[in-house]
Amino acid sequence: MSDLTNINFDTMTTAEFETYLPDLFATGGGKVSEDPRFAKFLAANPDCAALVSDLETIAEYAQSMFEEPVHEPSDTVWSNIASKLKEGVGGEEDGLNGTENLATE
Amino acid sequence: MGTQGVITMQPKPNSGLFKRNPPIAGEADAIERAKNGDPDAFSKLYALHKRRVYTLCLRMLGNVSEAEDMTQEAFLHLFRKLGSFRGESAFSTWLHRLTVNLVLMHLRKKGLQLVSLEETINPSEEDAPKRDFGSRDPQLAGSVDRVTLERAVASLPPGYRMVFVLHDVEGFEHNEIATMLECSTGNSKSQLHKARLKLRELLRQPEKLQPVEGLKEVAL
Repeated sequence: MSDLTNINFDTMTTAEFETYLPDLFATGGGKVSEDPRFAKFLAANPDCAALVSDLETIAEYAQSMFEEPVHEPSDTVWSNIASKLKEGVGGEEDGLNGTENLATE
Repeated sequence: MGTQGVITMQPKPNSGLFKRNPPIAGEADAIERAKNGDPDAFSKLYALHKRRVYTLCLRMLGNVSEAEDMTQEAFLHLFRKLGSFRGESAFSTWLHRLTVNLVLMHLRKKGLQLVSLEETINPSEEDAPKRDFGSRDPQLAGSVDRVTLERAVASLPPGYRMVFVLHDVEGFEHNEIATMLECSTGNSKSQLHKARLKLRELLRQPEKLQPVEGLKEVAL
């Protein structure tokens, strides 16, 4: 990934900006538009500002996909689980070899 | 000219602080009772978490049948491992991590075991986002909503979708994703960025997005 030290964000090209963008989002708390280091560049490059705005919108809205899951499994799923638990299969490692460390805190 | 992007979504239901996994009423009691073998308590845990677990599986796998199978496996695994839950993290965080690992193990068993995910998650050039900023189309402003975003995510190439779901939806950090996917942190960042760029492209043409078949969407 990009080395963000020693970069002049005011004079970088749009191509350089595109190269740096994944790291800028990853290191800046996801809010490139609010980072004062980029204010001058974004003001001078409205297409870049629009891109940043859209990507931030997508990232922010993705959070609501977590908060309100919209899909629901069919009733068959619980029926199968309940049936397996009644059979005692739930207490065994039914074919899930190597899963001992899946549930770590 | 303003600097607003073309994608304006409807107001988020819970904008502001990104609070994940707040305590659920009755959950702690159900966990303790389920640990002691109370079947009703386990049933309650299933009712509380089935949507999130299933939705996570569906978003990662993109297939209803497989998602239901993995939901079943996740809860059976939960039943086996519930006694080891010590409450050091939120229960749902623990359950989601368990589910993600099960799904990834499932994917590796399907055929990804010989090649690292870093090599296999990269989509073809055709699926990759275009390398330009794109022009702003004012006709699209305000036209995107949650259902459209859900469809767009479902339309992503699997590798992009995986990283996007794990990072932007589930809230995992890049180093955690890198460990889970057996790739570099840089690759995780890069894939996420490409996923967002691709989503932007898709959301600019929502009329081309297909409904995701077989999904039983619940009322919000």
